Amino acid sequence: MAAPHPSVSRDPLEPQPLIEGVHTDKTINDSLLAHVWRGAGKGWFALFSVALAMLGLLVIAISWTLYKGIGAWGNNIPVGWAFGIINFVWWIGIGHAGTLISAILLLFQQKWRTSINRFAEAMTLFAVICALLFPLLHTGRPWFAIYWLMPYPSTNGIWPQFKSPLTWDVFAVSTYFTISLLFWFLGLVPDLAALRDSSKSKTKRMVYGLLAMGWRGSGRHWAEYKWAYVLLAGLSTPLVLSVHTIVSFDFATSVIPGWHTTIFPPYFVAGAVFSGFAMVMTWMVPARHFLGLKHVVTMKHLENMNKIMLVTGMMVSYGYIMEHFIAWYSGDPYEYAQFFKTRWGGPMSGIFYLMVFCNVVTPQIFWFKKARTSIPVMWIASIFINVGMWCERFNIVITSLHQDFIPSKFENYSPTWVDITLFIGTIGLFSTLFLLFLKFIPAVAVTEVKELRHELAHDPTADPVGETH
Amino acid sequence: MSCDDNKDARTKDRDRRRSLPVVDKSVAPAKGAAPADGGNGLWRSQRPWRSIDERDRQGAMPGAANEFPAGTMDVDDNVSRRGFMQLLSVSTAVATVGAACQKPNEKIVPFVRRPEEVTPGNPLHFATAYALEGYGSGLLVESHEGRPTKIEGNPAHPQTIGATTAIEQALILGLYDDDRAKQLRQGVTPIAWRSLLGQINANNAKLAENRGAGLRFLTAPTTSPLLLDLRRRILERFPQAKFVSYSSVADDGAVDGARMAFGKPMVPRHRLGSADVILSLDSDFLAEGPEQTRLSREFAARREPSPRMSRLYVVEPAVTVTGAMADHRLRMQGTEVGSFVAGLCSVLASRGLEKLAPLASLSHGERKWDMKWLVALAGDLERHRGSSLVIAGCRQPPAVHALAAALNAALGNVGVTVEYGAPLTPDPLSGPAPLAALAQDIAAGAVDTLVITAANPVYTAPADFKFAKLLERVPNSIYFGLNEDETAAACKVMVPAAHALETWGDVRATDGTVSIIQPLIAPLWGGIQEAELYAAFIGEGDVGANKLLRRYWQGQFKGGEFDAHWERWLADGIVPDTGVAAEGGVAVDGAALAQTVAPLLTRTKSGMEIAFVVDPKLYDGRFANNAWLQELPHPITKLTWDNAAMLSETTAKALGIETGDIVEVTYRDRHVDAPAMIVPGHVDDTVTLPLGYGRTGVGVGGVAKDVGFNAGALRTSDNPWYDRGATVAKTGRRFKFAITQDHWTMSPDGRVIPPPAVEGPIEEVLKRDSKFHEEIEVRRGPLPTIHEPVDYSKQAYKWAMSIDLNKCTGCSACVVACVSENNINVVGKENVWRGREMQWIRVDRYFSGNDDSLSMITQPLMCVHCETAPCEYVCPVNATVHSDEGLNEMVYNRCIGTRYCSNNCPYKVRRFNYLNYIADYTAVRELGMNPDVTVRTRGIMEKCTYCVQRIERKRISTRIEGRTIADGELETACQQSCPTRAIVFGSLNDASSKVSQQHADPRRYDLLHEIGTRPRTAYLARVRNPNPELHVPDAHGAGQEHGKGEHE
Amino acid sequence: MSDGHEESTFVARRFIVAEFASPQALLDGTTKMRHGGYKSLDTHTPFPIHGIEEALGLKRAKIPAIVLGGAIIGACIAYSMIYFMNVIDWPLNIGNRPPHGPPANIPITFELAVLLGGGSAFMGFFALAKLPQPYHPVFESEQFSRASIDAFFLSVELPAGADGDRAISDVKAAGAIATELVTESER
Repeated sequence: MAAPHPSVSRDPLEPQPLIEGVHTDKTINDSLLAHVWRGAGKGWFALFSVALAMLGLLVIAISWTLYKGIGAWGNNIPVGWAFGIINFVWWIGIGHAGTLISAILLLFQQKWRTSINRFAEAMTLFAVICALLFPLLHTGRPWFAIYWLMPYPSTNGIWPQFKSPLTWDVFAVSTYFTISLLFWFLGLVPDLAALRDSSKSKTKRMVYGLLAMGWRGSGRHWAEYKWAYVLLAGLSTPLVLSVHTIVSFDFATSVIPGWHTTIFPPYFVAGAVFSGFAMVMTWMVPARHFLGLKHVVTMKHLENMNKIMLVTGMMVSYGYIMEHFIAWYSGDPYEYAQFFKTRWGGPMSGIFYLMVFCNVVTPQIFWFKKARTSIPVMWIASIFINVGMWCERFNIVITSLHQDFIPSKFENYSPTWVDITLFIGTIGLFSTLFLLFLKFIPAVAVTEVKELRHELAHDPTADPVGETH
Repeated sequence: MSCDDNKDARTKDRDRRRSLPVVDKSVAPAKGAAPADGGNGLWRSQRPWRSIDERDRQGAMPGAANEFPAGTMDVDDNVSRRGFMQLLSVSTAVATVGAACQKPNEKIVPFVRRPEEVTPGNPLHFATAYALEGYGSGLLVESHEGRPTKIEGNPAHPQTIGATTAIEQALILGLYDDDRAKQLRQGVTPIAWRSLLGQINANNAKLAENRGAGLRFLTAPTTSPLLLDLRRRILERFPQAKFVSYSSVADDGAVDGARMAFGKPMVPRHRLGSADVILSLDSDFLAEGPEQTRLSREFAARREPSPRMSRLYVVEPAVTVTGAMADHRLRMQGTEVGSFVAGLCSVLASRGLEKLAPLASLSHGERKWDMKWLVALAGDLERHRGSSLVIAGCRQPPAVHALAAALNAALGNVGVTVEYGAPLTPDPLSGPAPLAALAQDIAAGAVDTLVITAANPVYTAPADFKFAKLLERVPNSIYFGLNEDETAAACKVMVPAAHALETWGDVRATDGTVSIIQPLIAPLWGGIQEAELYAAFIGEGDVGANKLLRRYWQGQFKGGEFDAHWERWLADGIVPDTGVAAEGGVAVDGAALAQTVAPLLTRTKSGMEIAFVVDPKLYDGRFANNAWLQELPHPITKLTWDNAAMLSETTAKALGIETGDIVEVTYRDRHVDAPAMIVPGHVDDTVTLPLGYGRTGVGVGGVAKDVGFNAGALRTSDNPWYDRGATVAKTGRRFKFAITQDHWTMSPDGRVIPPPAVEGPIEEVLKRDSKFHEEIEVRRGPLPTIHEPVDYSKQAYKWAMSIDLNKCTGCSACVVACVSENNINVVGKENVWRGREMQWIRVDRYFSGNDDSLSMITQPLMCVHCETAPCEYVCPVNATVHSDEGLNEMVYNRCIGTRYCSNNCPYKVRRFNYLNYIADYTAVRELGMNPDVTVRTRGIMEKCTYCVQRIERKRISTRIEGRTIADGELETACQQSCPTRAIVFGSLNDASSKVSQQHADPRRYDLLHEIGTRPRTAYLARVRNPNPELHVPDAHGAGQEHGKGEHE
Repeated sequence: MSDGHEESTFVARRFIVAEFASPQALLDGTTKMRHGGYKSLDTHTPFPIHGIEEALGLKRAKIPAIVLGGAIIGACIAYSMIYFMNVIDWPLNIGNRPPHGPPANIPITFELAVLLGGGSAFMGFFALAKLPQPYHPVFESEQFSRASIDAFFLSVELPAGADGDRAISDVKAAGAIATELVTESER
């Protein structure tokens, strides 16, 4: 198992196995379910009450917005989109890491995914829930938007306009949420059965029993199950790419300098993964400590995530460079002014430079193994990256809009308390859901870890560090 | 005065209402206008009192009267806001039902003779007139079921010739202004007109004893035959009585100047149609004065790029609409203009205009201007003898007007481009001078009864008169006014005036032509009419204005059957053959003139110059309560909801002042705090203060309350417009302006592509190889495209618009016309500051050159109805789509407000209802809405529709007649109001239509053509006609940078 | 266990639940039993075990076909919907774009394909597995709860009238470390 292994020479990362210590299925089972059975501690309640308070803010902000209208926000003409859309894109982006880890790494048979995929998928769901708030809230008349965007035969006979990227968004995001949910639940079923069977109290047994739907680990089931799971992963992979591509179409299909860019789809997806992994990191570092998951979420996992952040960070930086290059190379005066005047020297250039620092400079420290393996460094870096990616969306949405073509309609933008409260509120919503998840559902896919342990233990040819390609 | 406390008219409105009960405790003593003798005799006010301490506060009452229009007096002091609102809405509703739905008893006659060109698209139109400064503008008022909703110019009228000014357009809102005085009151006691008549009769008897010695009338300047006739009869009864006419913006200089030049008071009338070279001496003739509409039309007609194109020289301190149109503009302090024109006289004399010889010797002090400029100008004038024109502005002293008259005479322009006629009013002067006489009388206690029909003199009178204090000395003061304003607070009796659209009367145009003023609606709040008030002093107060008017004109009418003619006059809006011929053969005695003006030209004072200016929106402040005008961006500064102390960049730098600094302007130990603003092209060492703001008493709602600062507080009677010796000091406080353009964007910016403009001489303009030609060609013509453009040629119409930037002066009448026609909401200062203004038309303006060679191009920009509209394909719910005839249609009831369309609009001409702006509309305000246009609620996008409601109305009416819409019979609101006819609308499928021709014009170009939006609105480039002697190629002209860029 | 219900038509099924020491033992045992002629075998393990399909002699999984069908149906629905709405039912001039713009239809077509594909994978699985199924006779075994934790079971359904003891001995012979005969209880 974790003891020295034939493949040492092949693997420089050997000192960081995927599972630390000697385990049996039983010990793994107990240790990974422990935090569910263990009663909620003071710390959990402290965090939870904070999260609930922030959630309260969200409720206030939403009700005020619905009562006053979008005028309660700082938006104007030309800045028709602002915090609302920034937050939408930011949250959606964060969601993507989850799907990526669980789906793409599964297809690539990256064994190290098993310890973090459950966690990441949950994050996807909650992030998408936060994101879903905004497209609805930011409309002038949400009470109509909520169903007029759907293709249903209405009395006035009019249909949605399918050339609009917003209509694409509706389908993309709702599909994304549904599929992520199914995928997550399907993976959860065997663990729910494990919970059912190891639960002490009758009620818990009942509840988890219901959720487990009578799962009995049947070989005949497993046979179909594996296919269903892999195929969902297979579908999720192009899905996650398509979702952020379509989100980027909201901007790329327009005529606004700073939006009208063909590089947006790959650049958005890279950014999404970038911010997503950062968010996983931000939550995983404390979680593995407080939930006692260090033996399954090892330094190797963290380091791998840091590597991905470095790579995607570079891709994002490339996106920035290309934008500027094309702005210069195209010779379009508006495009040029947008990047070299407005973004560099405009009234909102501060956000631009902050973005460059957080997204371009920060990840560079992950070139160094010391940084890659230092808990505090990676945690702080991950927070910087979250901030940086929010700033990136600010640059794209607001900075592009507030100075576009005709100077007589250049306008400044300043957020109102509602804008800020809404943003804080969604963080509250996210945290609330996440804390509930950590409380009631195993944060690590128990079944998969057991499977992994057996592969590592009984199959000498299996690559213990999961670097199979 | 931070932005927050004069935030948003409506919010203020609410706050103020909430604070109502407190107000009469706190504010009232501040007004402190307790009658010296507590009011004597029959004028004592019997104010009800509810408690001992309230009775003890009696002294505070006149102040309270200002806050409390009687009628709201009955409101319990601790009434909740909701309760008060309910009461208010109920009362207004009652007023509505009571007044609006009931037609005036007297017979009014629809505008029947419709010239083919101008058939407005709506049911009933009545001709009437609006009197400002005593001169009338003929109007056509659109009326829906007895509710006037829209104002147009009367094509038959010699002054308005079918167009209007922004102020005239906004009259509608003034009519339905909920803050108008609603109750005839004595002190704070509501009384009936009848009982007031009784008191006046009793008082008349007393007055008659000493032949009316104590009787004074303070009136606005008037040319009304009826009022002047009533005046005659009053003076017959009270020979000792005196009539004083006063206006704070009176054009006395012209009359006095003519007297200096010709020996008798005369009024100049200009004819730009025949003027090849025009020199404006600080005259904003395109945007000010009773002739502005006609002059704009005539001026624009001569600006067609042809060898006949006229040339305009402007000498002025701060950029005006006229200055912005100039081919050559010389910025010059107002006090310098005198010596400049003297210099001009001597130069012209030396060029052989012997008539000017006597004036040649006039000293013009040390020269501060560019002599080359003066010589070139002189040469141009001299070359165009008999077809040139010198216009002096109303702010200039008589001496300048006299010399201007002398110049015109010497150049042989009199009778061609300018003619002088006797004043149409018996009291030629109506400035500070006559008011001073009245002030003395009052001070001497010689005035017993003062009837004030002038517009709010307490606010507008020169500060040194301390008019409010003076009024306390008048035992019997009657104020006849529209609002519970400053003057109302200072007078014993407040008579609510009927609005111009509720009035019977008559008025003369500048050429003497009489228009009958007929009411469009019965007085909403039982307003009294001026004629009736006059008549009260000859015991005919109960006759009624209509009867008085008919009776008078019947008396004037010779032969024939009167009624038919009467109806014809009402229908046409003018009384034929009432024009007054100009006087020929006026001669200037040069020597005498030289003697008179010489002393006037020597400058004695020194120091910084202070200049007052009439506000193009609020005028002298009488329109301050009009939210449409408050929110209308200033034609030059684009400032809304405020006025500013305007400085040149150099001066501001010297004083360490930046735009937005609150400065203290001190002049003759009076001072005001004013936010400073740096204005391009402003003359150095001068601070310009617009009048009309900082109103304190503005009735109930107080749209105007605390908006801007009161420049009038510095204004004195001896130098009402210009003087030296002002100081401007920084206070360290900052101020938030609500400007609709150039928010903080000061840096010259690569993307700024101003409208192409070309420098003459005209012959070169259209040469194929000219720079101008290249400029144009890249802005039009076909572009590569993936999809074949939709073919509209099969449609009956292919609507399109063209705007001639060569004619657009930026006067902004179109903006208000559009607001009025399309029920566009007012958003208030805070929202304008946030960038949420709603006007569909944005008049962009581009400066070029530097302060000394400043030129400006204005470009009205509304939805250009792109054929490949970027807004449409991004809308997820098909809320904005294309019509068969190529209109970019906005479907309000389908819109969910994603604002994606606005984001994707390269012109940023879409407007979004961020808040529920219609929530605060009063029942009365709603009467003024155009029923043909949907009222937009919160969360909906809107934009210019090419006045689709007018198109459809016309489509229906022509279909009924079984024909198609002829070119020109359909006009959009902006087009109809445009004084210069810069806007043309029509169908491109009709090759002969005006708009088709304009789209084929060599000057035509598309805005943002390179994006490939295929806009339906085309622009015609500006052409300037500079004097070759002064023209520096490419110093300014095409390809300039954005004006503000010059000021980094 | 469930006697005393003679009069009812209910016939209780009987299962033998046998625990094996390791996945490998389970595989071998299962194969043996199958070759020993036992038809309805099933394994119960905490995690999927490689080779179980062969051991149980299962046919090819059906899920992939179902998912493919779902995806194709989704794509067809999406495209035809858009085409009908924007081209046939109510074509509009949207900024000069043609009513039928294939590139603009791609995103939604793809999304619906994924949605129905994924949905059918999920639904398909539960349908094939006949889940949810709260009760199954194997749950009667006390030990069986470990099947989801760390134990590897083989369950053998005995045909009506078959001899339980013989089966048990066969399973033992196949390598089971513990066995138990459970009978379906009537609920």
